[in-house]
Amino acid sequence: MALASGSARLALARPGRLGLGSCGAPRRGAYEWGVRSTRKPEPPPPDRVYEIPGLEPITYAGKMHFMPGLARPVFPPWDPGWTPPKFRRLPPLHEHPLYKDQACYVFHQRCRLLEGVKQALWLTKTKLIEGLPEKVLSLADDPRNHIENQDECVLNVIFHARLWHSTEDIPKRETYCPVIVDSLIQLCKSRSQASFSGQTDLCPNNTLSTTWNRGSTLIQVHGSSGAQLNAKDPLPPIASREEVEATKNHVLETFYPISPTVGLQECNVYDVNDDTGFREGYPYPYPHTLYLLESANLRPHRFQPDQLRAKMILFAFGNALAQARLLYGNDTKVLEQPVVVQSVGTDGRVFQFLVLQLNTTDLASDEGVKNLVWLDSDQLLYAHFWCLPVVRRKAVVEPVGPTGFQPETFRKFLALYLHGAV
Amino acid sequence: MAAARCWRLVLRGPGLSLHTAAGAAVTAPEVTGPDVAAAPVARYPPLVASLTADSKAARQRRVERWQATVHAAKSVDEKLRILTKMQFMKYVVYPQTFALNADRWYQSFTKTVFLSGLPPPPPPAKPDTEPAPALDVAALRAAACDCLLQEHFFLRRKKRVPLYLEREAIASPFLDQLVASLTGLLSARNPALAAAALDCKRPVHFYWLRGEEIIPRGHRKGRVDALRYQINDKPHNQIRISKQLPEFVPLDYSVPVEVPVMNCKPDKLPLFKRQYENTIFIGTKTADPHCYGHTQFHLLPDKLKRERLLKQNCANQIEVVFRANAIASLFAWTGAQAMYQGFWSEADVTRPFVSQGVITDGKYFSFFCYQLNTLALTAQADQNNPRKNICWGTQKVTVTWNRCLS
Repeated sequence: MALASGSARLALARPGRLGLGSCGAPRRGAYEWGVRSTRKPEPPPPDRVYEIPGLEPITYAGKMHFMPGLARPVFPPWDPGWTPPKFRRLPPLHEHPLYKDQACYVFHQRCRLLEGVKQALWLTKTKLIEGLPEKVLSLADDPRNHIENQDECVLNVIFHARLWHSTEDIPKRETYCPVIVDSLIQLCKSRSQASFSGQTDLCPNNTLSTTWNRGSTLIQVHGSSGAQLNAKDPLPPIASREEVEATKNHVLETFYPISPTVGLQECNVYDVNDDTGFREGYPYPYPHTLYLLESANLRPHRFQPDQLRAKMILFAFGNALAQARLLYGNDTKVLEQPVVVQSVGTDGRVFQFLVLQLNTTDLASDEGVKNLVWLDSDQLLYAHFWCLPVVRRKAVVEPVGPTGFQPETFRKFLALYLHGAV
Repeated sequence: MAAARCWRLVLRGPGLSLHTAAGAAVTAPEVTGPDVAAAPVARYPPLVASLTADSKAARQRRVERWQATVHAAKSVDEKLRILTKMQFMKYVVYPQTFALNADRWYQSFTKTVFLSGLPPPPPPAKPDTEPAPALDVAALRAAACDCLLQEHFFLRRKKRVPLYLEREAIASPFLDQLVASLTGLLSARNPALAAAALDCKRPVHFYWLRGEEIIPRGHRKGRVDALRYQINDKPHNQIRISKQLPEFVPLDYSVPVEVPVMNCKPDKLPLFKRQYENTIFIGTKTADPHCYGHTQFHLLPDKLKRERLLKQNCANQIEVVFRANAIASLFAWTGAQAMYQGFWSEADVTRPFVSQGVITDGKYFSFFCYQLNTLALTAQADQNNPRKNICWGTQKVTVTWNRCLS
C-alpha cells in the first residue's frame, strides 16, 4: 500500500462521484461520514450561561449526576492516545519517511514488460545468446550424470503430477504445477549420482531488493520470485575474459518510441538499500537457481512465455547484482569474478532455462562491457497429457498419459541443478 | 453367468452359502465324468431364502450377493467403487481434535492397542551381507540446525510474523525443509528412501464400518444399522515407497493389552454425522507404483498447542492429542494402503501393513509406529477375529535452540 502512487490509487477507485458508484454502492462520502440512519445525534447546544463573559458557570460535574438548575458541564475532548488498527489511516505519501522526489521504477513479480525479453535486456545491459552454454549442455549429455531409469522416473513424475496426486479426475494447474516442480527437484536431489550436499531449497518467502541506475532512471527489482536454490560455493563463470571483452562492441537494442520503463511500477516511496533476503552468516549465501512458476488456472492470469522470460532475466539479474554488491562493494565497476545465477521458469508443461552472468555493475552508461545471458526457451516436457482415455467408436485412440514426451528437457533441468557441483 | 460365478466362488474357499454349494453340485457332473456316482445329483433346485422378502434371511442373502460382487470385481478401482458408492450418514473423525481422551475413543473405533515405547528392533542382519554405512549423526544434526536457523533467524521477512501466524509461517516451512534434507541425507543408507516419493499436504482419506447401533428415529427406527466412519486427513508431509516396510511383529501376535471398550455412542466424544462422498485415498491414485507408506509428518494446529491446553487445565491431554492424531492418521493411511491392495473387511489382510508417523507442534516431536493386522472391523467380520492393530508411541522429544547451537 505504501508503495502505491497517487495515480495508481485513483485508477483503482470507483468510477463516478455523483450518486451511486458502479456496483450500486453508496458514495465515498457516505462511508467517511456515516450513512444517515447510523449517524449519532448531535450533542445539545451549551447552556446560555457560557455566553456571559467573565462568569464561571456552576455545573454538576462534581456531583457526578444530573441536577436540574445547574449548568451542563463542557469537558475537554478526550484523546485516547492510540488508534485501533481498524481506524488507522496511512499518512499521505509526502510524509512517508521513505518518500523521495526522484521516481523509481519497480519490477515486482506481477509486472509484465511490454517488449518482453528485449526490454529486460536493455534494462539490465545484457547480451542475449540463444541456447544454453556448452558447459551445461555437456553436463546434460554426460551419461555419468544420469539417474538410473531416468525416463521412467520422469514419466512417473508427470503421471503423478498431472493425474495421480489428487482425488479429482483432472487436477488443476494450481495444484499440478508446484507438484511437478517439487517432484523434479526431489528426483534430482535424491537420485543424482554426484553426491554433494552443497545446496538447500528455499520456500518462497525471501524478499529480494536491488536498485540500480540506468541512464538517469532508477530501477529496482523488489519482491519474491518463488522457490530459490542457494549454494555454499559460487557458480564458476562461464564466458571467458575474451568473450566478456568482446561484448563491448555489442549495441543494446532500443525500441523507440516505447519507453524502457513501460510496465514497471512508478513509485516515490522506496528503499534504496540492497537486500538479498538473508542475514549475514547464512551457510548457503550464493544464489544458484530460481524456480519461477506460472500456475494460475486461467490463461489470461498467466504470463506469456516472453513475459515469463523477461521476469526470469530481471530476477536473476537482481539476485546477481545484490550478491555482487555484497561481495565487492557498492561502487560501479567491471567484475573480476563474474557472478552467475540460473533460472528455470515453467507453467507445468513448457520450460524456459536461463543462465545469467553478471560481468559489470556499471549500468548507467550504454557502452562498455555487457552482461551475458544464455536463454533456452519453450522446451516442452510433454506436448499434452490425456487424463481420460480418448475413445472413438469403442476403440481407445489415445491412452491415458503424456504425448510427445521429450526426455531432453529433464536432462537440461538436471544439468542446471548439477552445475557448479560436478 | 450364474454357473461361472458359482465356479469362481467354489474356488475361493470356505464360507459358501447354500446357493453356491448346491449350484456346484448341479454343475459338477458336466466336468467329472467317471465320478458321477460319487457326487450326488440334486433333483430339485436349491432351497434358498427369497431375495425380495422383508425378512432377515432375505436381507442376509442380499448382503451376501453384494459381497459377492465385491469379491468378483476385476480391479481395485472397481472394488473401491462398489464399497464406497452408497452414501449414508457417517461419523466424521478428525485426527487433530480437542476432545478429551480422544485416543481411547479412537482406539475403540479402529481396534488398536497402544504400547508406549518403540517396537522391538528387527533381527540383526545376516553376517554375509555387507554392513550398512555408519550413521553420520553429526551431519544429520547440522542439517536439522541449518533448517531451524534458516526459518527462525536467517530468512529476512517483510514484516514480523504475528504470533497467531507463527506456526504456518515458520514451523511449516521448517518441517518441509527438515523432511527434504533428512530424506536426502539418509538416502545413501536406505535405497528405498532414494527412490521414495515425497508428498506435501496431499489428502489422505479412509472410510470404514465398525460396530452397530439401533437407529433412534426416522422411518428406519428400531432397526440395526452399522456405524460408518470417515477420516479426511491432510498430513504435512509423507514419504511413500514402492516396497512394503517389513513387519514389526507377526500378523497374529497376541498383545496382552486390551482394546478399550467405550460404553457410550460416539456422539459423546463429540463426533458428528454427515453424509458426503466416501473416499479412500493414500495420497495418490491406485495406478502409482509408490503405493506403500513409509512415514507421515504432522504439524499440530494452533488450537491444540501446549500453552492453550495448560491454560485450560488440561495438562494430561497434551499427550492425548499426539496419540489420537497418530492413531487416527496412521490407521487411515495403512487401511487405505491395504484397500489399494484389494483387502477389505470380508477379505482380511494376509500380511501386516506398517507405517510410521512423526507428530510435532514445531518444538516437540513424538514418534509413532503403526502395524495394521486386521481390516475386519464390521460386526459380521469381527465376530471371531482375535487380531488387533498395534500402535507404538514415544513421549515428546524437544528440539531446542541450546542443543542446536552446541
